Amino acid sequence: MRILLIEDDEKIARFITKGLQAERFAVDVAGDGRGGLEMATTWNYDLIILDLMLPVLDGTEVLGRLRTVNEQVPVLVLTARDTLTDKVTHFEAGADDYLTKPFAFAELLVRARALLRRGAVSRANVVRVADLELDRLSQQVRRGGIKIELTSKEYALLEYLMLNAGRVVSRTMIIEHVWDQSFDGATNIVDVYVRHLRNKIDDPHGRKLIRTVRGVGYSISDEETA
Amino acid sequence: MNTRSIRFRLTVWYAGLLAALLLLFGTSIYLGLRHYLNQSLNESLSRQARQIGEGFLIDIATGGEGYVISEINEHYAPELNNRFVRVTRADGSVLYVSGKPKESGFDPSAVPVLNPSTGRAFLREVHQPGSELLIYTMPFTEREGKRFLVEVGAPYEQVENVLRGLLLALGLGLPLTVVVAISGGYLLIRRALDPVAEITRSAEQITSRNLSQRLPLAHTGDELERLSIALNRMIGRLEESFQYMQRFSADASHELRTPLTVLRGELEALAHRQRLDLEVHETIGSALEETERLSRIVENLLTISRLDAGEAQVEHARLDLAELAVNTTEQMRLLAEDKKITLDCEANGRVDIDGDRARLKQVVVNLVDNAVKYTPEGGAVRVKVEAAKGIAVLIVEDNGGGIPAEALPHLFERFYRADKARSRQMGGTGLGLAIAKSIVTAHGGQLMVESKEGVGSRFRVELPLDDKRTDNDG
Repeated sequence: MRILLIEDDEKIARFITKGLQAERFAVDVAGDGRGGLEMATTWNYDLIILDLMLPVLDGTEVLGRLRTVNEQVPVLVLTARDTLTDKVTHFEAGADDYLTKPFAFAELLVRARALLRRGAVSRANVVRVADLELDRLSQQVRRGGIKIELTSKEYALLEYLMLNAGRVVSRTMIIEHVWDQSFDGATNIVDVYVRHLRNKIDDPHGRKLIRTVRGVGYSISDEETA
Repeated sequence: MNTRSIRFRLTVWYAGLLAALLLLFGTSIYLGLRHYLNQSLNESLSRQARQIGEGFLIDIATGGEGYVISEINEHYAPELNNRFVRVTRADGSVLYVSGKPKESGFDPSAVPVLNPSTGRAFLREVHQPGSELLIYTMPFTEREGKRFLVEVGAPYEQVENVLRGLLLALGLGLPLTVVVAISGGYLLIRRALDPVAEITRSAEQITSRNLSQRLPLAHTGDELERLSIALNRMIGRLEESFQYMQRFSADASHELRTPLTVLRGELEALAHRQRLDLEVHETIGSALEETERLSRIVENLLTISRLDAGEAQVEHARLDLAELAVNTTEQMRLLAEDKKITLDCEANGRVDIDGDRARLKQVVVNLVDNAVKYTPEGGAVRVKVEAAKGIAVLIVEDNGGGIPAEALPHLFERFYRADKARSRQMGGTGLGLAIAKSIVTAHGGQLMVESKEGVGSRFRVELPLDDKRTDNDG
């Protein structure tokens, strides 16, 4: 998978590049709008990540011109502006998704993956992490074959964690997917729910699956925690 | 009547000044006239005395006393002219005395006779019951050396009558003039100050949310037009600095985002490395938590500055505040149960309002979260929604520790923390209540708080009811 990153801030470009490379993507970087547009129209990319505030040629302009040539390639917009009008304008101009700075890298990764496999929605009905099993049709959860009763919020939280198994999801991502943005703020609602979920999923078992990455978020995996 | 109003004070000053001036004017007219009348009476008395002496007495040797008497009667007719005339010989005997006057009450015969040896002319007053005489006395020596005393007098009455008439005219005329002037002045001042009332009314309607408005200009070319122009310029400058302030918080938020993105991204990249010792991991995690909080503060500041500028995209749709409160409370129940706090929501039937669902939900979340945070274990938080008199009311009350009275007025200010150590420890941004207030205000509502230490707090949101179709059958 080849990704083009058009971002003028070198440091941002660097950590995104590193992060994406660690996930085994090939990344090209363009430092300004004109160079980025040139590369985007010359090569075949699977995804373009576009910052909006760019020197030489503004991101919005880049997006507009790109769409006259290539309607297919998914574009993820990075923006420091997040008014509704901005969002609407960008979707109208042909952006497929947007991310407001500052963002968690995990979130960028999730959105990038979602754009890359868009169209292919074939997901398994049963998701497994170690001996934990989640059936998305019957909404039943078992660990080691024993059924675990969960409230609907706990189920939604576990489902989100398991669909992103092996990756760290931030509190903001959890809130946006399981609750809604109104809860983003000071509430520690995510921590409370994760603790309740742990009580049911992990506590009766020797092996802990839910892991806290301090300052980043939570992840579920069958890797042995350090 | 407001005794401190300019209208009242101006009228009082104006009336007082006018009354004083008129009093001064009346007094000087009165005194001047009296002086003038006395003067002319004196002059006419002395002139007549001289004429009697130089015209008739001088020829007494040739004409005889009878001539003098008839001449005086003929020329001066003292009885008809209300005059007193007397001529006394050197031995004190009376040569001539006028009779009782026709219109005046004095008695010439009762005027005491003077010693004729007086060498100089002089004026004297003679008091009689019901009358007062001014008498000019003049010694006169005729050609042959015989001495006489000539006395001519007139009653004061005439002068007094004129003065009394003047006093009456002044006494009636002056107060009337003052009354007319006061009412005229009052009306004039009112007319002049009416535009001020208008300017006051318009100025009171201008708040930070409609600084683009201006006062109506009275095109009168006077001081008030200049005043409203000056006020409008001031509002303009306020608007500019207000916009500058808002632009500043918006720009600052934008500018902060890029370094925050870098900071967060690089710290996260570090945090994912496996081979770090625990202490480094903890430090990175802590730094990330602070970065996260910083991001939230920046985000919230931007939200507030947009809401306050009226720029925020507040979507408008009909929504049921009761349902919103019930659902939101339900979603937050675990948060309360985690602290062994009972949380319930009481709502009877629909309470329809017009507003932005996501933002209003944030208000409920912030208020309930705040209540749960500051209520000790075992406490209770109650949410209540009701419709009353065209107003949708949402109440969030707790039986927690309450808020100190001195903190209440500042509670909705940005970054205000009633209990600094405690709230920072809880990870708040210090902006939750400020955001709630801004959202409610942007919806044309009000957010109020009342609290008693040791009893609990009660937050009250009032929003305009969308009562076109509200029914209470739930």
